[in-house]
Amino acid sequence: MAANPMTQFEVYRIGPEIKIGTFDISFTNASLFMVISSLAILIIFNLGSKKNSILPNKIQLLAELSYSFVSKMISDTAGSKAKPYFSFIFSLFMFVLFCNMFGMIPYTFTVTSHIIVTFVLASFIFIGVTVIGFIKHGFGYLKLFVPSGVPVILLPLIVVIEIISYLSRPISLSVRLFANMMAGHTMMKVFGGFVISLGIVGGWLPLSFSVALTGLEILVAFLQAYVFAILTCIYLNDALNLHH
Amino acid sequence: MSKDPFKTRLEIAKKKVSKRNLENKKHNPSSIGTAFKLSTELVSAVAVGTIIGFILDKTFGTKPWLILIFFFVGVIAGITNVIKSAKNMQK
Repeated sequence: MAANPMTQFEVYRIGPEIKIGTFDISFTNASLFMVISSLAILIIFNLGSKKNSILPNKIQLLAELSYSFVSKMISDTAGSKAKPYFSFIFSLFMFVLFCNMFGMIPYTFTVTSHIIVTFVLASFIFIGVTVIGFIKHGFGYLKLFVPSGVPVILLPLIVVIEIISYLSRPISLSVRLFANMMAGHTMMKVFGGFVISLGIVGGWLPLSFSVALTGLEILVAFLQAYVFAILTCIYLNDALNLHH
Repeated sequence: MSKDPFKTRLEIAKKKVSKRNLENKKHNPSSIGTAFKLSTELVSAVAVGTIIGFILDKTFGTKPWLILIFFFVGVIAGITNVIKSAKNMQK
């Protein structure tokens, strides 16, 4: 048995090969799990919002709880001006959360453990927030790069530093989610491999580690989705309420 | 069931929830979120600075110099990032 802990991240093609020009857009296991998690979100929230009873059943409770959770998060971090962007942040949070959580089921594929997936999500947020900032403030948005009360001599250096720290946002956003998911899943696989190789005599210690790690990973899966969404709110807040 | 006992029960439950919310406010999960934020903030700014330096070096043909300068500018940007988010945390 191949005990390579990295084989779980392998992307392979399901079904026929589809090519447009030089781009390979075949349906892979990654796309399959994205479809599965989106479908799960759609089904749960359709069922949850179907009948609005005063005493909610479990699915309705789940839908209502997550709605109020995200709405409170947005109003806490980005203020009332960010209300129109609720649907975007809500679907982003739910997508990342469900991808992370589906990855916790054995023999599944974790979509968010690939940097290209998280980087595309983060760069869409980055571009969108920048566009929103320019629409709301015009060229005044560039004031974000010029902090007030800085001597004129230092200004060129400060502006370069501010631009770099602004450009680092999508990278820090995507690397955080990807690194957490990948490190956690690799670690779980490594401890699982220890259980097999140490056998029935010494395998109990790594087995208990594995159990503990599973709990930790579920926490991390939720927390990273939360962090992803809350940082989107913070960046949105910067774009909407320009105060520097 | 008549309506009045239900209403009083609802009132009691609401009071309990608001009390619990007040207690929970001290350690809400967003503080863990900002703590996670700090760790990658530093590294990503350095990476962006180095990439910018590398690209500028390629376009201007000034091989080692701009990448060196932008590496250190990236380090400074990373440190200011961390300080900024730490300040935000304390607010």
